[in-house]
Amino acid sequence: MKNLEGRIGTIILWLLLLTAPYWMPLFGGYTGLGTRVLVLALAAMSVNFLLGFTGVLSFGHAAFFGLGAYGAGMTIKYIYASTMLGLAIGVLVGILGAMIIGAMIVRLRGVYFAMVTIAFGQVFYFVAFRWSSLTGGDDGLTGWKRVPLDLGVTQIDILHNDIAFYYLVLVCVAVCSAAMALLLRSPFGRTLLAIRENERRARFLGIPVDKHIWMSFVCSAAFCSVAGALYAYLDNFVDPRAFRWEQSGDFVIMAVLGGMRSFWGPLIGAAVFVVLQDKISSVTDYWMSILGLLFVLAVVFFPRGVLGVVKRKQGL
Amino acid sequence: MGKLQASLHVRRRTLLKAGVAAGALQFASPFIIRARAADILKVGVDNPLTGVYTALGKNENFGVELAVEQINAKGGIVGRQVQTVVEDSTSDKTDIAVQKARKLIQSDKVDFLIGNVNSSHAIAIAQVAAELKTIHIVPGGHADAITGASCQWTTFRVCNTGAMQGNAMAGPLVNKLGKKIYIIAQDYAFGHALADGLTKAATKAGGTIVGTDFFPLATTDYSAVLIKARAANPDVLVDLAAGDDGINSIKQAVQFGLDKQLKIAGMQQELEVVEGLPVEARIGSWLFEWYWNQPNVPHVAEFVAAIRKKTGKVPTARTWFGFASMWSYALAANNAKSIEAVKVAHALEGLKLPPEVALMPSEPYFRAEDHQLVPSVFIGHEQAKGTVDPEDLFVVDQVVAGKDFMPPASETGCKLVYPT
Repeated sequence: MKNLEGRIGTIILWLLLLTAPYWMPLFGGYTGLGTRVLVLALAAMSVNFLLGFTGVLSFGHAAFFGLGAYGAGMTIKYIYASTMLGLAIGVLVGILGAMIIGAMIVRLRGVYFAMVTIAFGQVFYFVAFRWSSLTGGDDGLTGWKRVPLDLGVTQIDILHNDIAFYYLVLVCVAVCSAAMALLLRSPFGRTLLAIRENERRARFLGIPVDKHIWMSFVCSAAFCSVAGALYAYLDNFVDPRAFRWEQSGDFVIMAVLGGMRSFWGPLIGAAVFVVLQDKISSVTDYWMSILGLLFVLAVVFFPRGVLGVVKRKQGL
Repeated sequence: MGKLQASLHVRRRTLLKAGVAAGALQFASPFIIRARAADILKVGVDNPLTGVYTALGKNENFGVELAVEQINAKGGIVGRQVQTVVEDSTSDKTDIAVQKARKLIQSDKVDFLIGNVNSSHAIAIAQVAAELKTIHIVPGGHADAITGASCQWTTFRVCNTGAMQGNAMAGPLVNKLGKKIYIIAQDYAFGHALADGLTKAATKAGGTIVGTDFFPLATTDYSAVLIKARAANPDVLVDLAAGDDGINSIKQAVQFGLDKQLKIAGMQQELEVVEGLPVEARIGSWLFEWYWNQPNVPHVAEFVAAIRKKTGKVPTARTWFGFASMWSYALAANNAKSIEAVKVAHALEGLKLPPEVALMPSEPYFRAEDHQLVPSVFIGHEQAKGTVDPEDLFVVDQVVAGKDFMPPASETGCKLVYPT
């Protein structure tokens, strides 16, 4: 019965997402806002893959978000103007980065893991910031645009038609969330849950814990770099702040706000975060305090807040 | 399995609650705005109201506000009353600035966009404006690229570029202060743009750059930078830092007694910064893009009085940027008798600002090739205390007309492409 209810919820969610460009304007929304929610939701879901289902807190996922974004933007700018090629290269770069970083930090746990991920994110931030001849530095990477999709028989103009672009993003989110769900249902996903629940016991059972965490880290980073590439396409622009720890922090806030451990939680979190930010900042200059307060309340009243995870990890 | 079910249960409830909350929120404000008459022309202002550029952003917005009051009193734009929709772009989050630009154009349906103080924001907003075919004026983002390599047919700019300021300041620097120049600047796009502009222009004017040192943004201790500068033994130390870095670096140069050994100068200086300096550090030769104390220029006194009434302070260059941006659009649209973007853009090209908007001796105009305003600049020196007015902290020695410092349009790298 519960399963059925869950399915109905998912179906309603998808119906809402599929029709969003048509009902949002009625409520003061706009297509660009919907697209932003989807992109950030994907990033938050990728963080939650690690945080909610493996029990590892990464505060440096902006590194992969940024790698995806710069990978996509720089491909279009310097190599070949193709949206899909940009996306593919962005994701490959993100995965490669995660494989290397993951291998170095996979033995760390809890706060130490979180802090080292921040440090790695900042390394990329400073590279993008200082290497201005390649990345545009502080001014960001400009002078390129996402290009219409060429399907052979027909072209989809995702550049000028923002509803078409919304649906491209929705397709990417659908594919990624399906992949995440499949991974979580596979023996690999079950193993991750086992590690989250009791790492020591998992180790005693002969599970190569570090290897699993590394794999989970790489998967999560891959999804995050898809989000990054789409984010670059959304604004036809990317700047070094995509790498910064504040960006990683926003993803964690979204995941916690919506409810970690639940599969769609981060999507709800991202929707609440982005829509609130959009609305409150139009009304008052003190919008950051209000968002901050909201986050504090969410952490206090959500039993599975960030602190809970960190403490649990330390207690092991 | 129990755990899984519990999480499914929470998921559905969370979804419903969040859905209701998000839905309720949407009802809060937009409907009120939507209900207003359709014949109001909306102007979007996407400028920083939080973070390090707050003061600059707010001053620009005051200028826009005053211009809108005057425009409405004179019958509006093509017969429609003007109303502004103000959004906080933040000082450093370009994605929010872009999100706000999209919101203003797509959701609030503004016909004209103003923004931003931050150059990176301005470039990114310009891309959105071009994509959505909306006229956009940059009041105060100085990176050369805005009307250079990244120029757009929809985007115009009121403030100067690094190259313009370098050209304007090089002559007075080399001829009056000394030929050996040492430059210190912030290590990011804006600092590099100013340093490059000055290096080229000063070398051409017969000066020598004996050294250039870039320091990271938000440096607090300048002793290493200043010791290196003194060791190079220049005639002039040119400090190109803006904001708090400008305040700290000048303060420390004075504490070190550098002002007694060599001349201190800079390029772009803002009244907001000078007001933040201790009295003894209000020294050196600088360039102002606009200054409020111009006794013999018509209409300036009225403008100063109106802004003083509104804010209690004198207008700064930023206030004038906002004021001129808003008026430029109104004049162009009224000339074109249309608010259609292509028509207004063509009307803005070559538009000469009348004296009541120009508020400076020469007649500024928008150059058609790169959409850059060609204004005059004010070169002079700071003074510790105003003699007549406490806010008169700058003495204008020389006004340089735009034609004398504008780099040729062919050098900017701008290629405007209009939609077909």
